[in-house]
Amino acid sequence: MTDFGLIRHNLFRKTLRTILMLVAIMIAFLVYGLLGSFDKLWNSGEDLAAADRLITVNRINFTVSMPYAYINRVRALEGVKNATWANWFGGYYQEGRNQIQTFAVDPETYLEAYPELLLPDDQRADFLNDRSSIIVGEPIANQFGWELGQTIPLKSNIFSNVDGGDTWQFRIAGIFTGEEAQTQTNYAVFHWENFNESITFGQDLIGWMIINTTSPDVNDQVATSVDEQFANSSAETETSTEAAFSKAFIAQIGNISLMVRSIMAAGFLTILMIVGTTMVMTIRERTKEIAVLKTIGFAPARIFRLVVGETLLLVVIGGVIGLGFSWLFVKGLGASMEAFLPGYVMTWDVALAAVAIMIGLGLVTGFFPAFNAMRTNIAEAMGKE
Amino acid sequence: MDQVFAVIALTLRTIPNRIWMSAAAVLSVALVVGVLLFFLAMGDGFRRTLSGTGSDDIAMILRSGAGAELNSNISRDQVRLVEEAPGVARDADGAPQVSAELYVIVDGIKRATLTEANLPLRGVGPMAQAVRGPLTITQGRMFESGTNEIVVGASVLREFSGFDIDQEIRLGTANWTVVGVFESGGSVYESELWADATVIQNLYQRGTSFQSVRARLTSPDAIGELEAYNDAEPRLQLEVDSEKEFFANQGGAMQPMIIVGWTLGIIMSIGALAGAWNTMYSSVDSRTRELATLRALGFSGLSAFMGALTESLFLAAVGGVLGALGAYVLFDGLSASTLGASFTQVVFTFELSPSLVLTGVVLALIVGLFGGFFPALRAANTPLLAVHQG
Repeated sequence: MTDFGLIRHNLFRKTLRTILMLVAIMIAFLVYGLLGSFDKLWNSGEDLAAADRLITVNRINFTVSMPYAYINRVRALEGVKNATWANWFGGYYQEGRNQIQTFAVDPETYLEAYPELLLPDDQRADFLNDRSSIIVGEPIANQFGWELGQTIPLKSNIFSNVDGGDTWQFRIAGIFTGEEAQTQTNYAVFHWENFNESITFGQDLIGWMIINTTSPDVNDQVATSVDEQFANSSAETETSTEAAFSKAFIAQIGNISLMVRSIMAAGFLTILMIVGTTMVMTIRERTKEIAVLKTIGFAPARIFRLVVGETLLLVVIGGVIGLGFSWLFVKGLGASMEAFLPGYVMTWDVALAAVAIMIGLGLVTGFFPAFNAMRTNIAEAMGKE
Repeated sequence: MDQVFAVIALTLRTIPNRIWMSAAAVLSVALVVGVLLFFLAMGDGFRRTLSGTGSDDIAMILRSGAGAELNSNISRDQVRLVEEAPGVARDADGAPQVSAELYVIVDGIKRATLTEANLPLRGVGPMAQAVRGPLTITQGRMFESGTNEIVVGASVLREFSGFDIDQEIRLGTANWTVVGVFESGGSVYESELWADATVIQNLYQRGTSFQSVRARLTSPDAIGELEAYNDAEPRLQLEVDSEKEFFANQGGAMQPMIIVGWTLGIIMSIGALAGAWNTMYSSVDSRTRELATLRALGFSGLSAFMGALTESLFLAAVGGVLGALGAYVLFDGLSASTLGASFTQVVFTFELSPSLVLTGVVLALIVGLFGGFFPALRAANTPLLAVHQG
């Protein structure tokens, strides 16, 4: 019998006990998969932020606007490759609870600033040519069942239309997707010129600016020179990298990552305790057998390997099953909650990290029982009843 | 009956022999209960802060469709119309108890993370306190109208740095002096900065417009009269809600967190259940000979069953209580803040009420009951001959 065969037989000697341990391990990795994927998505704004992208907001707060004239002054600065802007529209569809993040933008420069937004060429051309059109992210189009070419009424909870009322009609010229699963596409953008001409107040103001620098190396220098441009004016600015801006924004909601990681740690601590103590006991029950193995010439190192191997196999089997279940759950949840949690997928790095944790956990929990087994004294063990 | 108690006592007394396995079961149950209570205490605390803010004899008036104060816009003329509306209470001098207010966002620095976060700066007039529940200045004094003075809510002081009394702070392009701190029974208002409305209108180029109007009603039922008046007056056509309803709707924002808490709690309970079962299985296994001896002496199967089940329930209960205790020490009264409906920070405290603790302990006992049931059956059916096993 090979060592692996021995390990396998030992593992399933007490089937119920093994199954119970497998369930505990499985649950811990199920929780890990669900939360780890969420954590990844939660921080994706920071992770996926383009290195060369800066965000300029009003120094009072990012919800306060600034003059339209700023954009040309920024474009003239050294190190600026592209500069564009956006306004918050406060859009919703039919009812107040159907909020849609809608921005009024300068189409050409905006799409240039965000190359990760994928839009077929013909839709892109259509959008650029028609000032009354809008492009929407795929999750939103799916949520409301919108199709290309359809005209949709969007209401604003902030602005009123010069035509009277607070509704704008937009023709859907394009539906965009993201380069990566986690690229945020649950929003819609339309022509700022259209916006600026049809609002009853707040004309010629822009919400924030997005700047692409010629290289990430000049980010600091560009940020400083932008903010210096507008120092001591009535609308001072604050420029930061997109990553820093995203990070600060999600920090406003709370330290979600800490919460998520603490729960995952609690799950793993539990199985460390359950599996660790059970294995110690299992090995103690087998003291006599181990003494026999030693008597017939098994080296202590080999015995150590057998016990660690058994624990490792246990954790890996449970872990892989748990991870498989969480992959299915994440897939199901991601599809059914696309509108609220777009980009909720299990990525390879989350799965690989799980495998690393399995191996680490298996080795740690296996160490003590294996150490005990290795040091089994033949004479003493044989004397036991 | 005596038999049952004797076996239970015997079983519980032998727990120290299986201390590590038992500790593993206790700890796993404790962690599950702790995680569940974390979410429930958070949801409860948030809801309590918001539902504690609203009063049903105050009408909250926004531009139709605005949904939040931040998005709303109300003209000086509309405010005057509301002041003359039926159902609006008047004070001793006959002045209508109506407060037109502004709501702008400024940056504060969160103490916990040292990052910038949105804080609401509310511009108020002399009637602000008349349209709110008890609101008291606990330190310093109220701001003087027409000056760059602000008073800050007690929660702001607690969660954000730089708002101590007499401190000068720069919000946007203007410098302000903090002259007082106020409390209002743990309501959302304690997460706000207050200053004179006219000063904010000037600094933020708002002309003579406001964003929200609050009016004290002659009675909670008077809101009907006010709504009818609003609908009939073409210059108004605003959104009228009772303040209570307005904030209660926002309190539901944490509902997903409670669902997440229960989902995780239940999933993790299954893991803890497997752990408890495993522990009990081993416990019964290690006492096979003892149990067989008892049976041989004439103890009933029931007493063996009850002994094992009680052990399981006992371990789970200890876990549940430990988890609740840990949650109490770590989370109860914990101050946190998150983005609320108006895109600004709402400071709230975690609340671990006795009913939540009970929920946690009940969950623990359910885990103990199911985890112990099958091992207990096994204990009851221990064959007499097992006494001879090696």
